[in-house]
Amino acid sequence: MEDDKKRTKEDTWKSEELRKHLRASQPGSQNEDQKHKEKKLHKEKSVHDTGTHKHEHRDRGKSKDRMRERFKSSERDRDKMRERERGKEHHREGGQERHKDKHRESSLQKERYSIPKDKDRDSNRERDRMHTRHEMKQTDIQNNLKLFEGKDKEHHRRRESRHHFEEEKIRSEERERRRHTEKKDDGGKKSIDKLLAYQVDESEHVHKLQEDQELDKERERRHREKKEHSARPGKERSHKHYEKDWEEKYKSKRSEMRSSHGDREGQPAEANERLKSRENERKKRDLESSGYKKEDKIQEEMSHQHVSRTVKDNGKLIEKEEKDTNQEDKKDTSIYNSDMGSDNFSANYEDDFEDYEDDFDDDDEGNSDEEGDAEENPREIPLSRTSEIEEIQRAISAENDRVGTSLPKKTENEKEKPTMERQYPSVRNSFCGILMDFQMANQRQSSRIMASKQKKRCSELLPLIDLDFSVSFPLLDLPPVNEYDMYIRNYGKMNTKQAYVQCNEDNLERDIQTEEVETLEKWTQHPGEGALVSGGSMDSQDMPANGTLTPKIDSQRLANFLQSACQVIAVLLEEDQVATEPGWKLRSQQTSLSISDSCFQLNTNQPFLHARRISCLCGSQVQRQTLLSVHGLPEKAGVDLLNRKSIICVWNIWQPSSPQKVLICDSEVVCCCFSPSKTPLVFAGTVDGSLLVWDLREDSRMHPHVMMSENDWAFRVPTFSTDGILNSVNHTSPILAVEPVSTSLYTDHNYGLSSLSYQEEMSVPPFQIASMDENGILNMWVVVELQKVDLAGSQTDLGLIPGGKVKLVHSSTMQLSNSLFPKDVRQRLPQTLVVKFLPSNPNHFIVGTNIGLVGHGTRDDFKVFPKLFRPQESGLRSISINAIDFSPFGKPLFLVGCSDGSIRLHQMTSEHPLMQWNDSTNGQAIIALQWALTRPAVFFVLDASSNIYIWDLLENDLLPVAKQTFPSENIVSMTLLGEPEKTNGLLGIVLAKESGQIDIQYIKKKWALPQPDESEKLHLVLLQAL
Amino acid sequence: MGELGSDDAAGNTYSLRPSLQRRFKSSTVKECIHAILKEKLANVQYIPEDMPQLTTSLSETIKDRLKEEGFDRYKMVVQVVIGEQRGEGVNMGARCFWDADTDSYAHDVFMNDSLFCVVAAFGCYYY
Repeated sequence: MEDDKKRTKEDTWKSEELRKHLRASQPGSQNEDQKHKEKKLHKEKSVHDTGTHKHEHRDRGKSKDRMRERFKSSERDRDKMRERERGKEHHREGGQERHKDKHRESSLQKERYSIPKDKDRDSNRERDRMHTRHEMKQTDIQNNLKLFEGKDKEHHRRRESRHHFEEEKIRSEERERRRHTEKKDDGGKKSIDKLLAYQVDESEHVHKLQEDQELDKERERRHREKKEHSARPGKERSHKHYEKDWEEKYKSKRSEMRSSHGDREGQPAEANERLKSRENERKKRDLESSGYKKEDKIQEEMSHQHVSRTVKDNGKLIEKEEKDTNQEDKKDTSIYNSDMGSDNFSANYEDDFEDYEDDFDDDDEGNSDEEGDAEENPREIPLSRTSEIEEIQRAISAENDRVGTSLPKKTENEKEKPTMERQYPSVRNSFCGILMDFQMANQRQSSRIMASKQKKRCSELLPLIDLDFSVSFPLLDLPPVNEYDMYIRNYGKMNTKQAYVQCNEDNLERDIQTEEVETLEKWTQHPGEGALVSGGSMDSQDMPANGTLTPKIDSQRLANFLQSACQVIAVLLEEDQVATEPGWKLRSQQTSLSISDSCFQLNTNQPFLHARRISCLCGSQVQRQTLLSVHGLPEKAGVDLLNRKSIICVWNIWQPSSPQKVLICDSEVVCCCFSPSKTPLVFAGTVDGSLLVWDLREDSRMHPHVMMSENDWAFRVPTFSTDGILNSVNHTSPILAVEPVSTSLYTDHNYGLSSLSYQEEMSVPPFQIASMDENGILNMWVVVELQKVDLAGSQTDLGLIPGGKVKLVHSSTMQLSNSLFPKDVRQRLPQTLVVKFLPSNPNHFIVGTNIGLVGHGTRDDFKVFPKLFRPQESGLRSISINAIDFSPFGKPLFLVGCSDGSIRLHQMTSEHPLMQWNDSTNGQAIIALQWALTRPAVFFVLDASSNIYIWDLLENDLLPVAKQTFPSENIVSMTLLGEPEKTNGLLGIVLAKESGQIDIQYIKKKWALPQPDESEKLHLVLLQAL
Repeated sequence: MGELGSDDAAGNTYSLRPSLQRRFKSSTVKECIHAILKEKLANVQYIPEDMPQLTTSLSETIKDRLKEEGFDRYKMVVQVVIGEQRGEGVNMGARCFWDADTDSYAHDVFMNDSLFCVVAAFGCYYY
């Protein structure tokens, strides 16, 4: 036995080494384990030799294969089979226990059935369900097992209390191992389980082989071979063969099982049926192999013993295992599955498993035996053998541990990926040579428990929890930085940023081809408020010229121009007005007078002229269109201002609607005259003996204004008055005549006037005014124009109006009555009435007296010839000379009109007249007498009875050629207006009526138009008259 | 770079949801991360040799800090990425398969002139 044992041991080790790479160490080690057990049992058997029948039966199922292997004798195998058969039969007689075992068997079968099912199923759920179902079915089994185990334990305890120290040791060892397995080493249990399964499978496999006839034949052949091989230790080979066979067989069986699994629920019954059939088959086989059985009966028994022990142990383990959760079951099954799919020896497991089933059939007795005899077994072990047993048990435990180390890993792997069983073998391979580490194993055990718990929890919770895919969280989005920023960041200054780049792009030049327009600003102001009336920007080149030009403008001249222009315009407007107002007497009005072609009236219908007699008319010798009319004091009080004043109106016959200017003075004006120059001066002598001067150039604002009938009249007061001053030389009696004395005026008559007209208007040529009063005093006055105007009034010139410019300076005084007349005439106290200066020589003057004589004198008192101009009839008569008129054509002729109606024509060189007409007016006094201005031989005479006579000496030197009578009204004054310089023949006769009207009659052309050589003819006529 | 958090043994309770106080709060976690990053990376220049060590230490620090926050039954995963600032564009994202009711994450970015650091902390609840 000892030799056998050793040899086998060696063999197994050797075989393990050989198979190291082919398969995992597990089966080998298990085999070894089994061998050990067997050895032990053999020893026990040999020593005690007490194997009861029951004992044999119990162990038979398990041990037979090992025995067969160990002793390498197929015959013995056959014997064993036979014996088992016998045992079975024996057992069948047993009652309750067997039944129990059957139950267990069926449950195991079911378990086995479930394995392929699990394999087939993919879903865990279903598997779980399956397991639960399985579990439920197993519960009673478990209970039984527990009972079983409890008994077993009890029996162990009893043994412990009662018996050997050695056995105690073994027990403790076993317990220790059990503890290991219980605590952590699922794998260990599993491995044992597998081991059992393996054993059972193997045994069953044998039966199975026998089941199929074809296979049986093969098997028989193999057995024969085995027999041949039995002498040598070629156990492995045979074993291999077995394995192969078993695998094949298993496969076939597997399919069978699968088909059976399809029925699912009807499994138990079917399984039972099958079990029965198998048993029947087995009986047959047993019969066949009965021959072998007999030979190895003892050994068989020994093996039985051994197996019984192992079965007992394993059974305990199984119980423990089954106490574990069905999860572990599941694991186991999965392991099986993996085993099946992967390797040859996995098939062994399956085979073992099947055998196991068979074993249980056999174990009916064994289990029952266990109840009774399990306690005896340990007792039978002798003390001397304890060390050996110890050794063996240690080895077993070590092996278990080793298996345990590998298995947990597997399970863990499986937990993680239960469907990937394929990986498992390689993993298991890797654990071949690992050292045993209990600590690690402990840890693994615990962790696996934990994992299993967690997994359970997981599976429970998973349906409750919804896992979902979250949206993707952006953790960082760092955009790429452009090159420039990077550059700035690396090389530029920190915290600065380049904001602007200057390039020369905007440096452009622009040009315009067109020339710029020259512009100049100018301004002007009218009326100019200063010397500067226009201007503009000074930057222009023209400006200096303008600046100098502007002051050069002659405002004086402009004013004069405007004045005259205004007059012209006023005249034109007046004519228009006349044409449109038919109610007013027009110039074109047809006259009833035979001497005139047409006539018109000056509008004397002015408020200030009402009820004033016209005392005097006077025409200007320079400005032929102007006329003075002297209006006397009104008969009743009128306007306050003009109440005690006489008025002189200055007319322009071209504007008959209103007087040009109105002059007033405090005393009654007797005589008046214009200045001999162009200067508009009016001189007047009053009854008070004062001489007055009006300067018509004066601004009207200097004079009082009166609003009359919607017109603003300026009543000019005299510019200069001799009244109250110069009392030593001034006239003390009324001034009868005022005559301008002009030295150059009539020197050359024809050209003198024209030259005068060109005289400078503003510069007053020096001229004198002569005034003569009733007492025969002739005063000569020099008209002086002041250069400087004193608005405040002059201190020295007391008669000057403030702001006036013209004054009279007394020149000389002549006492005419003493110097002119001889003594005889002087006795008659002649009274001077009229004075006239010779136009050609202003130094000579003639004075008309009231005795019919005309004195002749000079200003410088030279003796002149003739001293007196006498009428044709001698003797002194009191005939007052009313009118004297010098011929306007430069001839030294003058006409004298006398109050007796006689008219005399004198020449300066003779004392007596050239002609004298005494009764031409029928004794009526001559009021006015005047030469025609356009014809040298024609003169006009007005008598007191308002008759106008026209004399044309060339036509008739005895009688007037025409006589015009104004029966309705008295003509108080008459003067002539005409322009001798022109040949248009216009000659107007101005008649002042007593009513105050002034008529202007245009004389018919036959008396007005000059005739050729009229002066010579007149000269001839005058010569004839001499 | 990655670091697994504590593997607290879950008690045998059947609470499927964390209490409100124990819930993983993104804002507080973010603050924690921010504070740590500010403290650790204030004046750090990017030196390639030092970065692995720095990232691991950072992740450890943050993980430990988060454990102190008392998110019970949470598994913390802290990911730290440090990269150099060279102007290149970087885009990072995460996607999770989890129970959005209980699990959450927080992340924070720290940048200075030479480096950027992205820390993402994920909390997964143990049922």
